[in-house]
Amino acid sequence: MNLERKDWIRALTAHPATVLNALAAELTAGCDVKVKSLPQAGLGLLTLADGAFHEPYYLGEFPLSSCSVELSLADGRRAAGGAQVIADDAELARALAILDAIFAARFPGWDRVEMLIESGVLRCAGEDRRRRMILAATRVDFAMLNNTENDDDES
Amino acid sequence: MSYVAIKGGGRAIAGAAAVTEYLRTAEGLDNDRAEPLEIDAILHQLRHLVDRVVSEGGVYHPKFAALAIKQSLGDTLEAAFALRAWRSTRPRLSATPPLDTTRMRLIRRISSAFKEIPGGQMLGPTPDYALRLLRLELMDESPDAFRAVARAWLDNCPDARLPDSFPKVLDALRAEGLLPPVTAARHQTAFDITREPLVFPLPRSAALATMARAETGSLLAIAYSNMRGYGDVHPTVAELRVGYLPVLLPHPVTGELTEAGEVLITECEVVAMYEAEENGGKPMFTIGYGACFGHNEVKAISMAILDRALQKGMQDGAANPSEDPEFVLLHVDGVDSMGFASHYKMPHYVTFQSDLDRLRTTQQKSGEPA
Repeated sequence: MNLERKDWIRALTAHPATVLNALAAELTAGCDVKVKSLPQAGLGLLTLADGAFHEPYYLGEFPLSSCSVELSLADGRRAAGGAQVIADDAELARALAILDAIFAARFPGWDRVEMLIESGVLRCAGEDRRRRMILAATRVDFAMLNNTENDDDES
Repeated sequence: MSYVAIKGGGRAIAGAAAVTEYLRTAEGLDNDRAEPLEIDAILHQLRHLVDRVVSEGGVYHPKFAALAIKQSLGDTLEAAFALRAWRSTRPRLSATPPLDTTRMRLIRRISSAFKEIPGGQMLGPTPDYALRLLRLELMDESPDAFRAVARAWLDNCPDARLPDSFPKVLDALRAEGLLPPVTAARHQTAFDITREPLVFPLPRSAALATMARAETGSLLAIAYSNMRGYGDVHPTVAELRVGYLPVLLPHPVTGELTEAGEVLITECEVVAMYEAEENGGKPMFTIGYGACFGHNEVKAISMAILDRALQKGMQDGAANPSEDPEFVLLHVDGVDSMGFASHYKMPHYVTFQSDLDRLRTTQQKSGEPA
C-alpha cells in the first residue's frame, strides 16, 4: 500500500470510532504507551485564503481532538505517533495516534491497521465517487436562445 | 436603559421549560406511534437548516447543530446561540494554515459570467430551476418509498470521470489582466473576531469573519438594499461552488500537513463594476468574496456583494448603509441582535416607572395655565 501518512487519518476515520478504539486497545495490550501530549478535545480555527485577493481570514471553528504518543516494545523498539482529527472525542484521537505509531513503525499488528486503512480508502473512494456522480448527473451546457441546438436532447 | 434586580419566579421559569418540553412531545398524547426526531433525520432531511446553524453558530459541528435545532424546536437563532454557548466551553487547540479552496471536493459549481468555464458547470443539488409547487405526495410518504429513492438514483447514475478539483474562474480572468493582482501586502495576519473586539477601522479579514457567521436574513437584507438601489455593486457571479474542503493540520510527529477531516462550505466570487487603478493604471474589474460553512448560497452571494460594497466604502467613504463597515458589521450577527431584541422582554419596571412619572408630570405641566 502506497498511501502517504498524511492520508491515513481520512482513511481510518471512514470507520466507526468504536472499531478504531477497540483495535488500538487490543494492539497495545503488549506494549507500553507513553502519552507525549495529552488526549484532548477542543476547537480548531479554520483559516481560509479568500478567493478574491488570497487574504487569510477565519471562516469559523470546528471540533478538534488531538493526541501524540510513544509506544515501546519489550525489545526496546520505540515508535512515535500522533493524530489531529475533526471530532469532539479525545479517546478517538488517542486511538488514532496509537494506530499511526503502530503502522508507521511496523509494530506487531500493523497488518491489521493496514487492512483498516485499505478498507477506509475504499469507503472514501465510494463517497468521492458519489460526489462525482452528483456533478456528472447535473453537468449543464447552457445554450443561447438564438442557438438552434438543444442541449436537452438525449444524445 | 437599566435593568432591575428581581427575585422570585423560579417555579414559573421551571414551569415554562416544562411547558416547552410538553409541546415538543405533545404529539405522543394521541398518537401511540409518535417518535422523537432522530438526530440523523435532522442531519439528512433538514440539511439546509443544519447548514444555517453551523454557519451562524460559527462552529462546524453538524451533529450538535442538529441537536440544537431539536431542543430549540427549530428556532435557528436559539440553535445558533446554543452552539455558540457550547463552543465557549471548549479550549482552542489549533488553527489551520490558510487553506486553498481549489482543493474542495465539489458537489456544485456554476458561473453566471460565462456559458462555458474550464472544467464545466455542474448544477448539483439546487432548487434554482424547480417549480415552487407543493409536492403533496410527500404528505404521506411511505418509509419503503422513501428508502428506495436514493438507492434508485445511485443505481441509475453512471460512473463519472471527473477531476478531483477544478480551476477558479477568477484565476483565468486575473491571468488576462482583468482583475487586480494579488499582492504580498495583503497577506497579513487574520483578525480573530472571537478574541478581539470590533474596533473600527477594521481589516478586511475581520469583515469576512464577521459576515461568515452572520445571520443569513440580516446579511441578505443589507445586500438586497445595495442590489435594489442603495448601492451600485452590480455583481456578476464569476463562480459559485459548494463542496467539501479537506481541513489540513500539521501531523504531530512529522509536521507534514495531514487531513484531519472535511467541512462542507459554500463559496462565491463576484465580479463587479470596473474602475481605474489608484495610481492611474489600466481599469480592472472589482471583486467581492463570500463563504460560509454549510450549503447556503444566498448567504455566500450576499456576503460577496457586501464585501465589495465595504471595500468601496473603506476606499471612498460610505455613500449608503451597505458600504458602511460599522453599520453592516455591527448589525448582522444573529445572536447579538436576537439577544438585544429579546432583552426587551425582561423586567424593565424601574425604567418604565420613571417614564410613567415623567409623562404624568409633563402632562400635568402642559395642562396648567402658562
